[in-house]
Amino acid sequence: MKTVYLCENSLEGILSGVYAAWTSRKGHKNVELALLDDGETIELFCQYVEVPCDLQNAERVIQSIREKISEDAYETVYKASLSADKARADKIYRFLIYGFHIGRRVTDQLQIQAVYDIFQMNRYVDNETHLLTGFVRFVEMEGGLLVSRIGPKNDVLVLLAPHFMDRLSGENWMLYDENRKKAVIHPAGRLWFLAELSTSDWEQKLIKTKAEDEYENLFQRFRKSVTIKERRNRTCQRNHMPLRYRPYMPEFSQGLNDTE
Amino acid sequence: MLIQEQLSVQEKLEILSDAAKYDVSCSSSGVDKKGKKGTIGSASKAGICHSFSADGRCISLLKILFTNQCIYDCKYCINRSSNDVVRTSFTPDEVCQLTIQFYRRNYIEGLFLSSGILHHADYTMDLIYQTLKKLREEYHFHGYIHVKAIPGADPVLIEKTGYLADRMSINLELPTADGLKKLAPGKTREKILTPMKQIQKGITANQFELMEYKKTPSFVPAGQSTQMIVGATPENDFQMMMVAEALYNNYDLKRVYYSAFVPVNQDRALPSLPGGPPLLREHRLYQADWLLRYYGFQAKELLSEERPNFNVLLDPKCDWALRHLELFPVEINKADYYTLLRVPGMGVKSVRRIIAARRGGPLSFDALKKIGVVLKRAHYFITCSGRMMYPVKIEEDYICRHLVGDEKRKVWDISSSGTFRQLSLFDEVRGQHKDKIQIGEGCVSL
Repeated sequence: MKTVYLCENSLEGILSGVYAAWTSRKGHKNVELALLDDGETIELFCQYVEVPCDLQNAERVIQSIREKISEDAYETVYKASLSADKARADKIYRFLIYGFHIGRRVTDQLQIQAVYDIFQMNRYVDNETHLLTGFVRFVEMEGGLLVSRIGPKNDVLVLLAPHFMDRLSGENWMLYDENRKKAVIHPAGRLWFLAELSTSDWEQKLIKTKAEDEYENLFQRFRKSVTIKERRNRTCQRNHMPLRYRPYMPEFSQGLNDTE
Repeated sequence: MLIQEQLSVQEKLEILSDAAKYDVSCSSSGVDKKGKKGTIGSASKAGICHSFSADGRCISLLKILFTNQCIYDCKYCINRSSNDVVRTSFTPDEVCQLTIQFYRRNYIEGLFLSSGILHHADYTMDLIYQTLKKLREEYHFHGYIHVKAIPGADPVLIEKTGYLADRMSINLELPTADGLKKLAPGKTREKILTPMKQIQKGITANQFELMEYKKTPSFVPAGQSTQMIVGATPENDFQMMMVAEALYNNYDLKRVYYSAFVPVNQDRALPSLPGGPPLLREHRLYQADWLLRYYGFQAKELLSEERPNFNVLLDPKCDWALRHLELFPVEINKADYYTLLRVPGMGVKSVRRIIAARRGGPLSFDALKKIGVVLKRAHYFITCSGRMMYPVKIEEDYICRHLVGDEKRKVWDISSSGTFRQLSLFDEVRGQHKDKIQIGEGCVSL
């Protein structure tokens, strides 16, 4: 009978699940990892085991990934845990089976389905992070705080934060992930930190500065005047800047497409 | 000439960004710069696009002219001295303020500053230098700056500016000296190439200094680029590619940009393009440019005196492969890096992945698909463990027919944007001269 290990939705949670499934000695074919409350239908003829997040066990798994596979593989697993893929827990487990078997070279072997799955999740996460380094828009609030709201598919906040900390080190800014109700907050000149923001009172307390509308307007005019009408190409624009990013950008506050 | 002093920043921005838009280069790539305490900004090697305009081009830099007043009368340019347009100019503080405020809001990746030539080349270059100095030193901007070197300006000014900028460029505009004489009477080949050589030498010398002393200020760390207008003069693709190749080899350019000619002025010396700008030709030139820079091709392999223009119906790599079928099929599990790079449907990334992956065991077609090879094009030219994907005749006409079928839609999309034309049923697929873009007559005749 198959055993499904249900783990918490975090790197440590998933790796605790990996530890539990591996040490159960039931055989890789007979175990499966899933996430708690991911809304999947429960299967018949399956045993479900909830795995509490155990930092010690997770740390053990991390250590062996770093030592027995590679630092690169650890980074790969970490990014995969941020992916929006529902089966990410099980995919990480399958990847690690090959990883501990093959060793350092495993990350190159895309011909193996389990490795390819992880590679693809990484690619999605990296691509979204890269796009957002450009598409994030800050709005200046009274008191000089820069606030940005995003709605990414993958949990890319922690990957975006170092980029903006490096770039805007002298500014107070926050990046709010609307889908996960959490934010990265960066006080000027210090390190960033992650905060859960379940309620939205903080939003009401913030007021846009007066200059804000002026700069939004200037940027809109600029975008319009650099367009070469003879070369108009909406499809190309959409391929590079998918519609799902646009509701968060001030230049599309009038509508998701550029007006003529 | 109407010189307006009393315009608002918004009106100035509209006029001066509209005038700068025909400059293609908007990349913010080529240099990795970490942020610095007390300054604002950083740069990433791959470049970051911040928005895309309705023409599908990326907006990465705040692309503006310092002023659109100009003493020259280049026929193709909207700001030529004989045109009656509103003339205006930013002040250095306005440029700095706009850059910083846009940058803080993450609208842009940096500044692209070009200018019309006001009074004299030196005078203009000095204005640009003063602006950059202010932006770097007073406003503590540490992000990306791309700046134009003004042809004919004092070398000392160009050097001083180079230490403040990340990338510099001088537009070649037209590939031959003849074209330049005809359309840009104020500029000469020499005026353009002298500063280009100077910047190249500066970059090389700076690299040696940087090896010795890490604290040396860096000179144009992201390299220099240039731009050529496509379709304003009767040069063919072969001439364009030879010039581009010479620029890469002799001047160490990072990029050569190609800009499809958009007629903004009515002039006897300019072609009229009823079919719209030659976008497909521009597309093919870019494809070939990539082949030169990343794929180890040479211009002479792609084109020749007898075949001076690219095939409209096939991309340059497929076209090359079809003429060299004796080199194919290539065995995926054995061929070396450069051989694999020449297979249509494979790029630098996928070839690197193939080389890394095949160490762990032989690859199948399924694995290639995962790796990101475009099998639709590649399968005519490769074998996996000695087998082809489908039974294919290695025969030029057969493969050509199939490849053209796939490419046709794309060609139609690019060449007919904005215009509508009837596609003929009786296309000559291998006809090359027929596809030539005729200057002054019409655009691409498919």
